[in-house]
Amino acid sequence: MKKCMLFLLIVFLLLPMAAFSSGQKEGKTVVTFRSWSPIRETTNKMIAAFEANNPDIKIKATIFNYPEYLVDLRTRAASDTLPDIIGLEPGAFTQVYREFLMPLRDGAEKYWGKNWQDKFYPIGIDQARLGNPAGDENFYGLPVLDQTINLWYTVPLFEEAGFEPPKTYDELLEVAEYFNRKGIAPLMVGALDGWLRRDVYMQLIHNIAPGLIYKAEVGEAKFTDEPFVEAMRWWKRLFDDGIIQIGALGLSAYPGSMELIEGGRAAMFPMGAWWQQQATRPSPPPLSKGLVGYAPMRFPDVTDKGGPPEDLLGGIDVMLGITKSAKDLDGAYRVLVDFISGDAAQALINTFNDLPAFKGLNPEFYETEHQKKVWKIFTEEWMPNVRYARQLVDADVKQAFEDALAAVAAGEVTPEKGMQMVQDVWTPLK
Amino acid sequence: MASVLITERQRVPRPWSLKKMVSKNLGLLFVAPALVLFFIFVLYPIFYVFRASLLDWNGVSQGIYIGLKNYITLFTEDRAFKLSLRNSLYWIFLTIFPQMFLGFILAYILNSRIIGRNILRAIFYMPAIISPVVIGIVWQRIFNPFGGLISDIGRTTGMNFLIQPYLADPKLSIFSCISVNVWRWTGFSMLMYLAGLQGLQKEVMDAAAVDGVNLWQRIRYIIWPMLRNAHLTLILLGVIGTLKEFALVFMLTRGGPNHASEMLPTYIFLKAFPLQSMGYASAISVVLLLLALGLTLFLVVVLSARFLFYE
Repeated sequence: MKKCMLFLLIVFLLLPMAAFSSGQKEGKTVVTFRSWSPIRETTNKMIAAFEANNPDIKIKATIFNYPEYLVDLRTRAASDTLPDIIGLEPGAFTQVYREFLMPLRDGAEKYWGKNWQDKFYPIGIDQARLGNPAGDENFYGLPVLDQTINLWYTVPLFEEAGFEPPKTYDELLEVAEYFNRKGIAPLMVGALDGWLRRDVYMQLIHNIAPGLIYKAEVGEAKFTDEPFVEAMRWWKRLFDDGIIQIGALGLSAYPGSMELIEGGRAAMFPMGAWWQQQATRPSPPPLSKGLVGYAPMRFPDVTDKGGPPEDLLGGIDVMLGITKSAKDLDGAYRVLVDFISGDAAQALINTFNDLPAFKGLNPEFYETEHQKKVWKIFTEEWMPNVRYARQLVDADVKQAFEDALAAVAAGEVTPEKGMQMVQDVWTPLK
Repeated sequence: MASVLITERQRVPRPWSLKKMVSKNLGLLFVAPALVLFFIFVLYPIFYVFRASLLDWNGVSQGIYIGLKNYITLFTEDRAFKLSLRNSLYWIFLTIFPQMFLGFILAYILNSRIIGRNILRAIFYMPAIISPVVIGIVWQRIFNPFGGLISDIGRTTGMNFLIQPYLADPKLSIFSCISVNVWRWTGFSMLMYLAGLQGLQKEVMDAAAVDGVNLWQRIRYIIWPMLRNAHLTLILLGVIGTLKEFALVFMLTRGGPNHASEMLPTYIFLKAFPLQSMGYASAISVVLLLLALGLTLFLVVVLSARFLFYE
């Protein structure tokens, strides 16, 4: 009995060690990967594609929801148990973990050649180094997926109404009036989520003063300057004019607004290129099947220029970094390279998860011609022209923006006071 | 003389013996494993969090010692922290007492011989075992003024006052969250009171009947006081639950709009992870710990909560 208990105790103690171990397994190199993106099903497809051509490497992946991933990564960094490859966001996120990450420039050159940076969309290369200390031009993460932020419209609703996607605010008002009468949200925003509030504001300020927000981040402008306040006023008007639906601040982007959008209750909605993946989910609703119900559009112009800016905001959706804890550096590089530009990347792109960071990757199969047309718009017309980032560098400024946008929309503070809230938390970037 | 000798002998120090030592401290040995676990998993984390609260630290890199600066900022400048304290107070008073009251009414009704009472008990208890994530998603839909259940009822019946931005209005959002929490835990209160009601002595009820007390008198002067243990248990669990509340608020409002429904745990999460201010989040955690300790002591001492052991 005692021996039996002792045996069980040893097994109990060794199990976790086995579970978290990496390195060699059955003669194969094990590469561990933890991230929040791509989602588990997609990651499994990528792993299958990689392992089919690399039988000497086994990938052990753990995919979390984003909040859980933040906790997991922080705990692992503190306890020196980071996996070989981790998912990253550009900016503050990557900078916090920089000391644990391998510089990737030399490896990238080895695998993709001397002009490897030209093989990526420029915004991805720019953003990958966001927040690096002055003089440090290395890469601590490389982009896998890029994105644009834009609006989408529901094609059958616009066709039935005989409208074209609005290009100016006046046209937007006209469209909104019509759809409000029909009980359809003119612009469905799941504004409970701060990132979606920020996405809308970023498009407004990009329309009013392109590039100014990045100057304010580094102290060359103030967030209380008139263009920022003006963009905030437009944000407020979207609510006051009935363009954004009632109760938006209490509706989540996912699943809240998504269900209403797919149920045909939204004429337009602010999502990015990632909305394409709705078509590839199991049993998609009729509007999402083959993406027939949706088409992307630019945010209407609010400045009387007569049309929205030609370039969209965008940047990296997810990037990958190799940690200094990686047991087999070559194995980790092979996985990273394949996830970005190889068979695994192809498996990823086939799911329309978002846009490839590596140029020239296209899905192998389109369900409809419309879906193909939308893909071409994103990858050939919009993505190459993205100049400015969707993300901000400083997490506190980002949060202050999200709070201010909620406060202004709810009528708690004026646009001026809202922008003062942002300026108040600003400190020079470290 | 003999007795003197014995006394002298007794004064001679005995040689040290392991056996005696072990037998003397046997009790301590038995509790040692629990003590070790207590030190590792309770005391050490508390010390660690307190130490972290004195640092400017992102949780990953080397922290910088800043003394009490986090606490000073917390109490002097942080509006969201003050809101989360206010919301905790709202939560304690507006959750615990309504759900006790409703739970008692349900328990009283379902303790009588009505048809389908077991099924009804199960139905009322069900919200307590549903994941708060699911509850959050479902209630967000119910509250949504655009296509949500409550507003649609308002539109259909002409009761337009029902069409409200329940989660989107900073003045309403915390109360909307509280109402969902009451709905969620009323079944649990019902269960506690049911157990209490079934433990009441039949003789007391019979004597009351003989004395001719009416229903109100029976509830007010006999049953309610005799359920004291259940009341105190529910209050204590309610206070602890309030201070731990995270998932429901996170799913319903993320603590918004503009922190209007922020609770201490949601604020700690926001600071520690998305905003990467682990030191500051630790300071909030220390305040939360002290608050929990203070409130628990208050309940146990001031309310003489001797309910753990039946008198």
